[in-house]
Amino acid sequence: MVETVSRTPASQWRRNSAFYISVLPFFTIFLAFSVFPVVFSFYLGFSRWDGFGSPVFIGFQNYVRALHDPVFQKAVANTIYLWFWSTLLTISLALVLSVAINEYVAAGKTYFRMVFLVPLLVAPAIAAVVLRLFFSANGGLVNLLTGAMTGTPSYFDWLGSEVWIKPLVVLLVIWRWTGWYIIIFLAGLQSISRDIYEAARMDGVGRWAILSRITLPLLMPSIAFAVITATLGGLQMFDEPFVLTQGLGGTNNSATTVGMYLYATAFTQLNFGLGSAVSWYIFAAVVVLTLVYRSLMRRTKAGEGA
Amino acid sequence: MSKGILGRMSNREKRFNIGVTVALGLLSLFFLLPIYLTAVFATRTLNEVFQFPPPLWFGDNIVQNYANIANVFPPFRPILNSLAVALPKTVGLVLVSSLAGYGLSRYTRAPGHKTLLVVTFATLFFPPSLALIPFFLQMNAIGWLNTFWPLIVPAVASGFGVVWMYTYVGSTVPRELYEAAEMDGAGGIAAFFFVVVPIIRPGLAALAVWTLISTWNDFQLPLVVLGDGTKFTVPLALTTLSTTHYSDMPAVMLATLMGLVPVFVLFALLSRQFIAGLTSGSVK
Repeated sequence: MVETVSRTPASQWRRNSAFYISVLPFFTIFLAFSVFPVVFSFYLGFSRWDGFGSPVFIGFQNYVRALHDPVFQKAVANTIYLWFWSTLLTISLALVLSVAINEYVAAGKTYFRMVFLVPLLVAPAIAAVVLRLFFSANGGLVNLLTGAMTGTPSYFDWLGSEVWIKPLVVLLVIWRWTGWYIIIFLAGLQSISRDIYEAARMDGVGRWAILSRITLPLLMPSIAFAVITATLGGLQMFDEPFVLTQGLGGTNNSATTVGMYLYATAFTQLNFGLGSAVSWYIFAAVVVLTLVYRSLMRRTKAGEGA
Repeated sequence: MSKGILGRMSNREKRFNIGVTVALGLLSLFFLLPIYLTAVFATRTLNEVFQFPPPLWFGDNIVQNYANIANVFPPFRPILNSLAVALPKTVGLVLVSSLAGYGLSRYTRAPGHKTLLVVTFATLFFPPSLALIPFFLQMNAIGWLNTFWPLIVPAVASGFGVVWMYTYVGSTVPRELYEAAEMDGAGGIAAFFFVVVPIIRPGLAALAVWTLISTWNDFQLPLVVLGDGTKFTVPLALTTLSTTHYSDMPAVMLATLMGLVPVFVLFALLSRQFIAGLTSGSVK
């Protein structure tokens, strides 16, 4: 590299100090309000503490206790259900919509680019409030609609139903988050060169072949990014089920997520140790899944090379 | 351009594309319907919203609905609270992130640079729930509970913001500019404010819009640190209103609408920046 500016020790020192000054605010605040709490949380996970007096060291008891708690087991199952279905449906829908917007829409491209983003402006908690009103047992829009169709007034308690509450959370996630993935996929689609498509068309390659052999493989990095983002969010899902069930988790904890379990143990039962242990379980799940995705990605790439 | 493509298409392809457009149009109505109905119901009476078929056009009961909210809390209070959190946090976050992003992008040979860069990227995979409980206890210990401080000061250090500004500075500011600035006597920090900031202004705007909107929509952290109803931000105040006054649907809908207006206005004015903000995370 050609250096036109002097490399004297003094200028070197000046440059280094400029670097440290520029990153100082970020790392100071990060250290004080993120790293320190996380280290403390590690300690809390092995302690019994209700916030008064001093924490008592109890080894792995919190971790064991969580595993034996039926509510935690149910929360894990619910979280996996919600994470799996919301990720699968949201990303598939976004994929179909963005390919359609990018390739097939005959008119109103700008409208379609924008319209699915509107729900992103609505806080998940607020979207849940609106969904509650539409699905409420007494006079909710959905019951009015089913009542009018069947001819008998309907007072079905959607939000209290153990069967329906999880699909409603998934519906809420689809409504609110599809636009986010559309942006990611549209950005990915636009980075694919038009020449490839033109060449394929010239060679008489059909639409489905173009989609499955060119578009989807080239979009893999965007899809992987989307899945990792959805997993990070899905494993910690809180706002949507919390507001939809008014913080109670639904009938028999049918919509309690691990995030809600963490919140309830810490902030209603004041069991900070157990709550911290649960947060480390979430962290472990995030790390494991991220590593799994990475190795999957590497394998598909290696497969292409061979 | 699209006309040219259509021109070259077979009739079958054209029919397919028109079918796709119609299907997408209907689906887009499904995405807009909840918001539209919220706006309509906010202007209707209680009796009207429980009728079938439901009203699909605006009514004239908005003043009464407003009065009904005002009986519960000052209707603009949550909005002012949200602004009191979102504005200072945004200014701080944009400043801290761009400064750090600049430093990481420019001084690649400073000792410790690599480590700090890796740490910054690693923070993106850091689940916020890991810090929630100890953060609450920390805020309790320093007496910040039930104030806006926990939502502002710690939040200005955003790994996402730094990573974004790091890539943005790296791709928009030519390195020769640093050397030119140095010869003019502008050292590291001066060069940031007088040379770099004017260039990265679009990126700063994008980060600001993104931060404003996501802060406006935050729920869990305000729920944990704000105990007093008078301090509630928009999502908290609305969820509370919807549980205590759920029977008065039009009033809840109007309060919801009022909480949405600020972000919708912001989006209408700066949608380009907002989208740039969302995309930036996915590139590279």
